[in-house]
Amino acid sequence: MQGWPVTSAPFVILHLLQLSSSSRRLFNVATALEKLTTVARDPRGYVEDWRARHPGRLVLGVLPMNFPRELALAAGTLPVVVQDDQKPVTEGRSLLAEFYCGYTRNLADQAATGRFGLYDAVLMADHCIQLIGAADVVRAILPDTPVFFGMLNSSMNDSWGPARVVAMMGEFRTELERLTGEPVTNQALGAAIAAHNRDRRMVRRLFDDRAAGSAVLSPVRLQDVVTSAMIMDPAEHAGLLAEALAGATAAPPATAPPDHRVRVHLSGHLCHAPRRELLEAIEASGAVIVDDDLYHGRRHVSTDVEEGGDPLEAVARWYQQRNVNIPCPTRVQQDADWDSWLLDAVRRSGAEAVIHLVPKFCEPHMLYYPELRKALDEAGIPHLQIETEHEGIPLESFRTRIEALVERVRRTRAVPA
Amino acid sequence: MTQTAERNVFADRSNRLTVTRAGGQLVADYWDNLFAAREQGKQIVWYNGGALNPIFQAAGLAWCHGEAFAARLAAQRLEGPAQLAGAEYGYNAELCSYSRTHLGCSVLTLQGASLESGEGEHTGVVGMQDRRELASRLPSPDFFVNNYAGCSTGQQWDGISYRVFGKQLPIFNISHPFLWGNKPDAGYLTGEEWEEASNFVEGQLHELIAWLEEQTGRPFGWDDLSQSMEYIKRAAELRREGLDLCKAKPAPATFWDWIACVAPINFLPGAQALVDYFAGVRDEIRERLDAGVSGVEGEKYRLYFDGIMNWNKLGFLSRKFAEHGAAVLAGRYIHNAFWQEPHLIDVENPLRGMAQHYLLCPTNHGTRTLDYLTMRDCREYDVDGIVFHSTRTCRAFTGPQRLLARSAQNTLGIPSIFFEGDVADASFYKEEILESRLAAMLEQIDVRRQRGEYTGAARP
Amino acid sequence: MKHYLGVDLGSTTSKAVVVDDTGTIEASSIVQMGAVSRAGMQRAVDEALAEAGLRPGDLSGTVSTGYGRRLVPLAQRSFTEITCHARGTSAMVPGARLVIDIGGQDSKAITVDADGLVEDFAMNDRCASGTGRFYEVLARAIECDIGELGTLALRGSTDLEVSSMCATFAETEIISLLAQDLAIEDIAASVHRAIAARTLALVAQVGKRAPVVLTGGVARNPAARHFLSVALDHEVTVPEHPQITGAYGAALLASTHASGPAAAEGDADRPSQVSHTGPHTGPGHSCAECDGRPSAIVELGPVIGVRNW
Repeated sequence: MQGWPVTSAPFVILHLLQLSSSSRRLFNVATALEKLTTVARDPRGYVEDWRARHPGRLVLGVLPMNFPRELALAAGTLPVVVQDDQKPVTEGRSLLAEFYCGYTRNLADQAATGRFGLYDAVLMADHCIQLIGAADVVRAILPDTPVFFGMLNSSMNDSWGPARVVAMMGEFRTELERLTGEPVTNQALGAAIAAHNRDRRMVRRLFDDRAAGSAVLSPVRLQDVVTSAMIMDPAEHAGLLAEALAGATAAPPATAPPDHRVRVHLSGHLCHAPRRELLEAIEASGAVIVDDDLYHGRRHVSTDVEEGGDPLEAVARWYQQRNVNIPCPTRVQQDADWDSWLLDAVRRSGAEAVIHLVPKFCEPHMLYYPELRKALDEAGIPHLQIETEHEGIPLESFRTRIEALVERVRRTRAVPA
Repeated sequence: MTQTAERNVFADRSNRLTVTRAGGQLVADYWDNLFAAREQGKQIVWYNGGALNPIFQAAGLAWCHGEAFAARLAAQRLEGPAQLAGAEYGYNAELCSYSRTHLGCSVLTLQGASLESGEGEHTGVVGMQDRRELASRLPSPDFFVNNYAGCSTGQQWDGISYRVFGKQLPIFNISHPFLWGNKPDAGYLTGEEWEEASNFVEGQLHELIAWLEEQTGRPFGWDDLSQSMEYIKRAAELRREGLDLCKAKPAPATFWDWIACVAPINFLPGAQALVDYFAGVRDEIRERLDAGVSGVEGEKYRLYFDGIMNWNKLGFLSRKFAEHGAAVLAGRYIHNAFWQEPHLIDVENPLRGMAQHYLLCPTNHGTRTLDYLTMRDCREYDVDGIVFHSTRTCRAFTGPQRLLARSAQNTLGIPSIFFEGDVADASFYKEEILESRLAAMLEQIDVRRQRGEYTGAARP
Repeated sequence: MKHYLGVDLGSTTSKAVVVDDTGTIEASSIVQMGAVSRAGMQRAVDEALAEAGLRPGDLSGTVSTGYGRRLVPLAQRSFTEITCHARGTSAMVPGARLVIDIGGQDSKAITVDADGLVEDFAMNDRCASGTGRFYEVLARAIECDIGELGTLALRGSTDLEVSSMCATFAETEIISLLAQDLAIEDIAASVHRAIAARTLALVAQVGKRAPVVLTGGVARNPAARHFLSVALDHEVTVPEHPQITGAYGAALLASTHASGPAAAEGDADRPSQVSHTGPHTGPGHSCAECDGRPSAIVELGPVIGVRNW
């Protein structure tokens, strides 16, 4: 797989040409996927276009990971999960210490250099102290931008927890009503929930298919699909995604060479996207990604909101259920174990190894990692930890580590019956 | 055998209080007692975050504050084995060194227990002789209580300890809303959010007490709680008196003396001995004022120290600042923590005041509140500059620091410096940076004084 | 008699080893050069072949390793230096379970199983701390020839607590110690002690095992070995040729892979199977088209995840 320029648009179109006979439909398919990629790589264009189509409506910057975008959609706003725009941190250096994680330093940098201007207000629900530090910087530098922090209860087994979460969802609704000057009706919320669920299901299907052995998109494209879902109106996203997938088939052509790369599960990067170059390096070093628990992966689409019944309570239950479906170390929950989940995920997908992607300075991950290591070692599953940084990606160093893992796995593959 | 060289390269102009040695003895006795708690048949609770010890005391428990033990190890330069055990278990060196050190102690405690029972093999990187050292002496807990406001890592920490101990032991979590200040009426100790948060935490303390009754099988000692809070409140008032007396010029005692007083106020039992100790501190300060004795020989500069304490370097830092004639007088870790608002405590019904103190953890405020507190303290102590401890593994404390530095310059016209260190990991400390930046800042102050400027924050 | 070549093209040195089909070393060479130098590599290969009395055409297989492993034109395939160091060191020191390799710019800790195959590894290749470069910094600061550094350090007795993790700041610490007119033996010993502590932290990531073998250029420094064994509280073995373990391992792998399909390092051409055990009902379960019943062996066949762009 070395040397395949997997991210270039002409290459994408070329391969689609090999699969589909309808050139008109083919043109639309390429365009749809490219559109999603463009939104993912630079949200500003989509945001400006959305504003033009919805004059007077608000664009909200939402910080990861658990803010209920359904509520914001129901309020008639566009809730955009703020992305690490991957530009080197310059002015942000004077605002947050260098030992803050890359994402939070990038947030501070965006605020300091006018790249945060596309948001009318910022909302957050998560208590990661680094996110709070970054949000505080944003609030200080942009005093005219409201920054609302509705801290969701993070100790998930407490008996008073669920009621607190419902109340906080109510606070979010109140704040949205205050920002927009309009009430957020249960009806609107129900429709927003349905739209998000539909989009999530479509995206989740891609992950399920990949884990079952029939991937339709490369890891980079898949990340673009998830990232664009974090930015776009869900109906628009679902529409484009349906178009993009219409021409693609998961059935392997008879002439395709067998893929004997080592199957890996990618774990980590709990709130911002890993660099595309890293995903490509993994797949160019003898490994193929079959599943993940990245935020810009399964985590974002793991859980649907129940439809029917009181929608605000359903959103509150969605938050609780998210941590059961894929446990996150930023929550404290005694009866949901990330390590057990990881073992189950590996068994389901048939992954032969796990690669932990740990952003440098990510405390929740650093704290939980030894438990993951213990579980994987006990189960005899090879794994590798890669520490990622915001700038200066040492690709050679990553390749060496990944190749060493691949070499190790290859010699322990089961002999056919 | 190698000897450690005494690097006494400058004359010691620091003049530390003598009474703090008595506090040191109280603390040493406390830990020795704790190490023997299992033999004494006591139940042991491990906790982190706000000072829940009066509640544990009233419940008849032995208590161990994880951070306090990590700080003690670092202060005694004995953190190495714990940190190495932590590294072997899989903790990254960039992780909060408080949690990493304490979790390393957990690993050592567990390994020690399994060695004793004959189940385990000694295979780790930490040598056998180290196991007899301080880091391995913590007795296993019977249960965990987490009471961490502000820092999310603090909450996750006990959740991880729970897993390190095999998910076998009960755990109780108290959640603290971050005092962000969403509402327009939000302020320090005031506003709707403050009241709501106080209600919520107070309610959880009631739940905690009911839970402790289940764990201990004993009714809770409500009278004991009031009694111990009476002592603690009195000790806290004496502490505040002493802190206020240090506004004098020259200051009779410094930040480093108050650092030495953290352990007593943070976790010693609520008892007469605690009150006597802080009365002794206040009295020694008063005596010094009367006799004209200062905390730094030839005090020339007055400074504010923001950041969590660099526990490995207490003696060194106090000498270094004094060497330059700099009296460090105030700091967030001392002035905005550790029962710092005793007037909130109603000893008849102490839970609300206690809940509020836990919410007032110095990492639980947004920059707006910290700005108010820092500028206020800088003015009251009339400091000439701020030293920020850029604590490598403590993101909770360091988040607002750059903004506070800017504010100090803009609002008060005083300079700031940042130096690199860490709370419990000495390998992150960079002495050259502190030395050169401190010297530069003091020169800057000298130049302004030569021009006839008043350099203190309290300038009219 | 067949001959195999292993080439280790590292960041500062290039090494080549020729073995025969019994695994005996016939020739070896080490060439100091600039970063990843093709010329240096060529020279190393030429010298090794000359010493063995062979021409490139006489070789039955070549494996490359190291940072520049993809730049070796002779090589049929490459393996990472982790796999090669494990293999080479296990052959040189049979029974070795922990390999610590300290090179010019990086350091590695590798645990190996009874067959000399890699179990776990940890690398430091981002920071000079704990690598050969740190020793160069020390040698330069105290104006001692790098070859004499170890002997000097072994004469030290007082621990001066060089604690900084960063090589740049450690240099400043060393300079300030010199300014206090402290003995250079003690300074050298203290720096060696600090580096050993860093190495111990690296070992902690993979777990301490024994026997312990130290390889790489730094292994020739007797003080490095001494202080590391004190830190580990265990004897540390240094093989006779500590710098060529990677190239030796590569040569051995060339020999193994030339001898047939049942290769010890794993054969990429074998189709794979996976066994899905356990119920498909746990949290987060979302297998497409799965009806929730536990399945038996799932035949994935030789084709896995073919990309349809």
